Amino acid sequence: MSNTLRKELKLCASILSYLFIAFGLMFFLPGYPVLCGPFFVCLGIFQSFQNAREANDLVFSALLPISKQDVVKGKMEFVCFIELSAFSVMLIATLIRMTLLNDAPVYNANALMNANPFALGMALIIFGLFNLIFVAGFFRTAYKFGRPFVSFIIATFVIIGIAEALHHIPGLEALNSFGFDNLPLQLMLLLGGAAIYAILTLSAFKISCKEFERIDL
Amino acid sequence: MSIVTIQNLTKAYPSFKLDNVSFSLEAGRISGFIGRNGSGKTTTIKSMLNLVHPDGGEMYYFGLPLSGNEADIKQRIGYSTGTVNWYPRKKIRDIVQVTRCFYDSWDEASYRKYLAMFGLDEDKTPLELSEGMKIKVNLMLALSHRAEVLILDEPTSGLDPFSRDELLEVFSNLKKEGVAVFFSTHIISDIEKCADDIIYISKGRVVASLSKEDFVSRFSLDGENLENTFLRLERSEKNE
Repeated sequence: MSNTLRKELKLCASILSYLFIAFGLMFFLPGYPVLCGPFFVCLGIFQSFQNAREANDLVFSALLPISKQDVVKGKMEFVCFIELSAFSVMLIATLIRMTLLNDAPVYNANALMNANPFALGMALIIFGLFNLIFVAGFFRTAYKFGRPFVSFIIATFVIIGIAEALHHIPGLEALNSFGFDNLPLQLMLLLGGAAIYAILTLSAFKISCKEFERIDL
Repeated sequence: MSIVTIQNLTKAYPSFKLDNVSFSLEAGRISGFIGRNGSGKTTTIKSMLNLVHPDGGEMYYFGLPLSGNEADIKQRIGYSTGTVNWYPRKKIRDIVQVTRCFYDSWDEASYRKYLAMFGLDEDKTPLELSEGMKIKVNLMLALSHRAEVLILDEPTSGLDPFSRDELLEVFSNLKKEGVAVFFSTHIISDIEKCADDIIYISKGRVVASLSKEDFVSRFSLDGENLENTFLRLERSEKNE
């Protein structure tokens, strides 16, 4: 574990960031927009940013014998650690729904989006948006996080709306596949989501480094 | 020999300008950085630590430019401020446990020594400490990694007279070990008591950077103490 990640976990992390990983279990909920789960996970991460700001963490970090880029890297590692932990919970929930609970009537009669690989890919896109809009937006000032978080909320609920609406469009029913139906397509969509997450996160990291280097603390 | 050299440091704000600040620090000497509130002390110190980006100027530590060598240089310097609280709700033990990982030369014996000397309890959080004790926590962190240069922003402000005296004693001991101590203050008696050199800043300009003896012989009138000298100099600067 890097020293910067250790600092994030021991000194900056809000307990809510860890507790809200459990919102990954929302992938078990029938008749509920499952993509709200990733949003709540991001809300937990937001609490840690608030904690860190109140503790003057960025100035403390900038005084340590590390580069400013390492400071950003530590934050990004922490964010990804929480996101991927929550993603693992969602993945397990989805696999259980696809296998053990395949015959459960509540899931068969699900009016909203199914928990499937496409939903997992969309969850990763939401996490990527959080990194690009909120994390990179925060590092523009290293202080103000209201506007970046509100922008992220708007973007996320647009994405959730689109994801929930897509499978109602004729020809796109396969997006809401149940169990192992249309598995190759579903896995491709998951991989696509993972690729977008990687691109958005890398872009967020580069923008954050550039912005943090520029500002006076 | 200079181990820190600051040359023509410039930083302009809408209502204030740091104007070609230059001075140097030597190993085994205590330098007092003095000036009234708003004179540019903290901006200078923040620039020296790359927290603030100067518009111009050069900074060298141990012969190396700060730019491009920041992480290596920060391994060898210690910083403390009396005005900022880090992680107010975390135990000192936890803050130290994390901080020590970043320093190659963290000295556990020194840490224990200063912990005892300052009467700090590792199980307390900064929130539970008085302002003076918080300063001591910051100082303890700065002193525990065998820093060759200590940069301290108003370390004695908020300390009781006994703690201040204790701290100035610590500075004198560090000086004997070859450490360069640079501290900003507006408490003239601290300068009088322990500083070898005086860097006097007013309105963003370094008015003088001299040894204490040279400063007194150049600026003090007959029989005038250092405090009155500064008051007189400040009044004349204000009237300019």
